[in-house]
Amino acid sequence: MAAVRTAGEVFRHRASLVTLLLVLVIFLGPIFWITATAFKPRNLATTVPPTVFFEPEISPFVKLMTKRSQIRTAPAPEVYEAAPWWEKQVYDGGEKVVRSGKGEVQLSGYPSRFLNSLIVAVTSTLLAVSMGTITAYGFSRFKIAGEDDWLFFILSTRMLPPVVVAIPMFLMYRAVGLNDSHLGLIILYTAFNLSFSVWLMKGFIDEIPKEYEDAALVDGYTRMQAFFKIVLPEAATGIAATAVFCFITAWNEYAFALIMTNRRAQTAPPFIPSQVGSGLPDWTVIAAGTFLFLLPVAIFTFLLRNHLLRGMSFGAIRK
Amino acid sequence: MTQIELRNINKHFGPFHVINNVNLTVKDREFVVFLGQSGCGKTTTLRSIAGLETIDSGEILIGGTPVHMLKPEARDVAFVFQSFALYPHLTVFENMAFPLRAVGMAKAEVAATVERVAGVLQIRPLLKRRPSALSGGDLQRVAIGRALVRNPKAMLMDEPIGSLDAKLREEMRVELKRLHVEQGSTTIYVTHDQIEAMALADRIVVMHAGVLQQVGTPAEVYANPVNLFVAQFVGSPVMNVADVTVSGAAGAGLVTVKGASEGFAFPPALLAQVPDAARALKLGIRPEAIEVALTPAEGHLAAEAHIVEPLGSHDIVDIRVGDSLLRARTRPGFVAGPGTPVWLRLDPTRAHLFDSETGNSLGIRL
Repeated sequence: MAAVRTAGEVFRHRASLVTLLLVLVIFLGPIFWITATAFKPRNLATTVPPTVFFEPEISPFVKLMTKRSQIRTAPAPEVYEAAPWWEKQVYDGGEKVVRSGKGEVQLSGYPSRFLNSLIVAVTSTLLAVSMGTITAYGFSRFKIAGEDDWLFFILSTRMLPPVVVAIPMFLMYRAVGLNDSHLGLIILYTAFNLSFSVWLMKGFIDEIPKEYEDAALVDGYTRMQAFFKIVLPEAATGIAATAVFCFITAWNEYAFALIMTNRRAQTAPPFIPSQVGSGLPDWTVIAAGTFLFLLPVAIFTFLLRNHLLRGMSFGAIRK
Repeated sequence: MTQIELRNINKHFGPFHVINNVNLTVKDREFVVFLGQSGCGKTTTLRSIAGLETIDSGEILIGGTPVHMLKPEARDVAFVFQSFALYPHLTVFENMAFPLRAVGMAKAEVAATVERVAGVLQIRPLLKRRPSALSGGDLQRVAIGRALVRNPKAMLMDEPIGSLDAKLREEMRVELKRLHVEQGSTTIYVTHDQIEAMALADRIVVMHAGVLQQVGTPAEVYANPVNLFVAQFVGSPVMNVADVTVSGAAGAGLVTVKGASEGFAFPPALLAQVPDAARALKLGIRPEAIEVALTPAEGHLAAEAHIVEPLGSHDIVDIRVGDSLLRARTRPGFVAGPGTPVWLRLDPTRAHLFDSETGNSLGIRL
């Protein structure tokens, strides 16, 4: 930053910083709100004006994970004393955790829904990215009769609005017994993401010079070995980007999950709003569920950040 | 003992006949250069030998074994690409070890071989680096190193120094020659640069439009081009070519450049060999075979210098004769500048006559 700046430039620089800060506040505001609400006691969740400073507690998460019921009167002192610290927070909020006859805490539906989301999103992402990469490699490297038509066909599977196919899909799934099953959702999300994955990966693989594979072939490797040893490592950036997009799509999908599943294979997105229920919704519990739901995508993207940020390094090729 | 034989090979890309019935034998330890313009089929021929392209018909034999039906990995040849094609995600060491790992060589042996070859190429300090951290010349050394480690039956090089800058190219040319003298592997080298071809080759193969034009030592190809294409492709500046008419009058043969009032004197014995003097002919003469004088002399024609290009060691002077510009090579500063009157004589022993229609040399020599 050695360049001389005029007064006008200094002003513009500061103005752009202020603008950026404003944009940042607008974008991060909702996330902050959800995170804050997830750690608030229930009575502070809906105050006007909003409570900004409070003592964080984890009762929303305890309530999110467990079955519980309202209590009309405060628990007996000895019951209160015997309760673990996290249960005391629930008692303080005017509720109690429901236990089975053997005294075991009964889980709410959330943990299994969250697990379902993970199973469905991870599996369908793996399938879509691996199938997409291999298909894209074929389109990129070999002459295929009607290549453009095939690629258009693959893309066209994404052109129909999902709403249009929702009811027919539901009927077909019911007929073959795929409704409310993990496999059903995995197939559905893989099919959603595959066309996207093929197109994105084709772009990345097209960018990898063919000479690398030619070199590997004369170096004594088969085409398959060349694919795994040379093309895949070179395409890592593209694979990471495609995987992030596929994962986000599958993880956030709401409409089909709502229609196709209700209990066994239900994912988190349709479950969280169902907790609003009737009467007075407990916003802290919903915020806690949403907060946890945001984490996997954030973690996944964070883990792949180097691949996403690293440009394709073509230092070894002279064009 | 590795001899490479190409027998009647043909290849088409759609309607284009890119390799047209090519026959060639590259002897053991020979350095053969394929020379031609881009698109002449030289790279496709090389890739076909490596197995990266399939040929439509014909046979390719390496060391006496037909290989044209084999996959590249089974042919045991090494290929150096113009783009170097070093794997960017691997270090220099891993790049050079890559072909050795393909054949399952033991780890210690791989390390020893890579070290030895890196020593020959003087790239030992670079082994831990990635290709993106190397300069052009070093990239090229690594690419050659990767080809050398396996001790392949043949080295195939596709314009390996074409993407380097001029100075580096000259250095690497010498280095390639040294390597070939030391290692002595059968080598086919593709280039469009005739200086590279002249400097490196045991034999030059000139290709044009998929057809072999001429195969011979650099001296043969330079001194006796079989046709106009070869004549005008080899040499710098290129051979002068002018439309001429041939006549024999008063005991002396005359070669008259089209549009000129007077003809150059040629020995009648030479011109007597022209089968049909009425046929349209072209004269080919290299710049160094034009003798330029500043005073009138016996057998010299008067002309005027047009442009002078000083090149340090010599000058190239453009001289208008009839409808043609002849470029002559002179001592530096010999011709003062444009407009200087000069007198010319052509050395008949170094003149070539070509048939204008076919472009083929008449093969007439004194």
